[in-house]
Amino acid sequence: MLRTIKPKNARSKRVLDARQPKEVEDPRTAIFVKGTHTGDVLNNVMRELMALKRPNAIAFNKKNAIHPFDEASTSIASLEFWANKNDASMFVFGQTTKKRPHGLTFVRMFDGKVLDMAEVGVEKWVGMADFKTPKSTPGHKPLMHFASELFDTHPRFTQLKSMLIDFFNGEEIESICLPGIEHVISVSCGPTPAALNNATAIAYASRPKPGANGANGGSAEETANFPKVHIRTYTLNLLSSGTRIPRVELTPMGPALDLVLRRHQPADAELLRQAMRRPKLKKADVEQGLGKKRKNQEVDEMGDLRGRVHVGKQDLGKLQTRKMKGLKAGGDAMDVDSDEAGRDGMDGDGGEEDAGEDSDGFGANPRKKRRSKA
Amino acid sequence: MDVSNILATHAAKFQSVTVEKDTPLEIDAGLLLASDPNPIEEETYKENLEDHLQSLARDGAQALISALFSLPTKQSPHGPLAILPRPVFQLPRAKPLPKPKPQTKWEKFAAAKGIQHKVRDKKIWDEEKQDWVNRWGRNGKNREVEEQWIHEVPLNADVDYDPRKVARDERKERIAKNEKKHQQNIARSGTASRDERKSEIEKTLATTRISTASMGKFDKRLEGEKKVRGVKRKCHYSQNLKLSQFDPNEASVESEKKASLDLLSKMDSDKNKMRREPRTEEGDLNVRKAVKFASKGRGGIALGREMSGGRGRGGGRGRGGRGGRGRS
Repeated sequence: MLRTIKPKNARSKRVLDARQPKEVEDPRTAIFVKGTHTGDVLNNVMRELMALKRPNAIAFNKKNAIHPFDEASTSIASLEFWANKNDASMFVFGQTTKKRPHGLTFVRMFDGKVLDMAEVGVEKWVGMADFKTPKSTPGHKPLMHFASELFDTHPRFTQLKSMLIDFFNGEEIESICLPGIEHVISVSCGPTPAALNNATAIAYASRPKPGANGANGGSAEETANFPKVHIRTYTLNLLSSGTRIPRVELTPMGPALDLVLRRHQPADAELLRQAMRRPKLKKADVEQGLGKKRKNQEVDEMGDLRGRVHVGKQDLGKLQTRKMKGLKAGGDAMDVDSDEAGRDGMDGDGGEEDAGEDSDGFGANPRKKRRSKA
Repeated sequence: MDVSNILATHAAKFQSVTVEKDTPLEIDAGLLLASDPNPIEEETYKENLEDHLQSLARDGAQALISALFSLPTKQSPHGPLAILPRPVFQLPRAKPLPKPKPQTKWEKFAAAKGIQHKVRDKKIWDEEKQDWVNRWGRNGKNREVEEQWIHEVPLNADVDYDPRKVARDERKERIAKNEKKHQQNIARSGTASRDERKSEIEKTLATTRISTASMGKFDKRLEGEKKVRGVKRKCHYSQNLKLSQFDPNEASVESEKKASLDLLSKMDSDKNKMRREPRTEEGDLNVRKAVKFASKGRGGIALGREMSGGRGRGGGRGRGGRGGRGRS
């Protein structure tokens, strides 16, 4: 554990303050760590990923004998140490072995502790230099695109999706400069095998987790029938379409990766619950209608905003029933008669009234309505 | 007038920028994310992978761009800025939510009384100088009295009355008071509970009470002060003495001898506890550096071999660098 440092001057105080938790977080800084053996493939893939992740990327150049999934105790401790030391909350760890060639492990941290891990194997890769096409500017935010229903249904793919979004694009921003959108990162799967349709995926999600720490979840048999994951990056050409919205054409930019899913460690439920906490919304945001559910308002299929209004309880005691001369307070019988005569004259007017307008049957002039229905 | 032609061209315009799918794409503009929940078609996937992926990506990018370009914008020198809604897809945070800053005693009081916070300017108007001067700090107004060149001395003042010092002490006292309040606020807001702080204070008090030569035996007892419990003096002269008693000034030769021998054996047993001897003149020589210099970096063994004459088994035994297995 790192000792807590008391800042001795204003500059180091500013640096330490910048590391304090914030309400709206900065993008995650990723550390690229090499294992004991990384082949040419992994070295290149990590360099390419780093090029996309820059400037929020740190490279460790030396080899490190850590095995996040195998000997959890010491490896996790070193990951946590590096995360604290570098103020980074994500790791990309490359290790190639005979059993698991070209393995990339994405590790996500929360509060200096490991939140979850996902290992993928690189099956095929094409680098940026192999595409002789224009590249995006480093530091520009990419668009993300995920294609396959698995990314919504299957827990392994959902984790990967969340991990990749966090890796490439996890920053919450208020606005984006439209001419600055330059590239899109597309993540897609192979066709879903029959064994992984919705029903089994749900059953998979609800099954008891193997192993005490869940580190060995996803053995070879389970991941064997998973479809491949294809990551492609394209630059955007925005062509004029005659409307405000441009037409999009894509040019491959690289890197292009074909990945297979391997081991993973799901997030600890308690830690995940803490990590998912959202800040309380500001007063201005609530006034804009964000956050709190707006009651009695909904948008229907046509896109129209519909509201419901509460009109209070109907008081049947005041309901106007059939008038009888005998029940009236005496004296003004003549007046009533003349009033009724006046109404008779407006009969045509009443006929045009919409019957549904006053559904509770007691509105401004119930007599008129009765007439029109008759 | 036939407008179907115009309508058709208008529809054609939009055709290129709209994306038709079985299930509509889910757009999360806040994260610049488009998710396509449609299953992957096996034929096109197998036929031509790259084209299939690119067409999928184009559809996604087009849908996302359409969503982004129809957002409200504001102008900036670099082009229009689309104002993004809040993200829908929830990502885990990297650090816990910031804790709210605890209120100071004054802030609590001000809130209860409804006192508004006023920002005090650092500069203050000086009537004499007809200029803005610092309230504190360099040439600060708060040191005006103590720095003026002439002072008024009250009639009944002592001989050694120093108006300068009085003004300065007053200012220093204010600073000390403020610092004390600051420390109290920190202590109040600290994570330590009241009980923890209480036990901490009691511990400190107990230490001070036994820190006299008589270990507090002859100290004046305050009213309501409890006897310190669990304090024992070391008594290694003889076991038959009561623990509360002090060691006698004169002891038998045997017991004195035993005590000294015990002390010596203790010193022998643990070298770390021994006080190190101060460095002598020779001690200033850094032997490791000297050997490194004399042997030209080859180490003491090589030097010894050279001195004894004759080269041993070849000189190329590495340069003695420690195997680097660092982290990055």
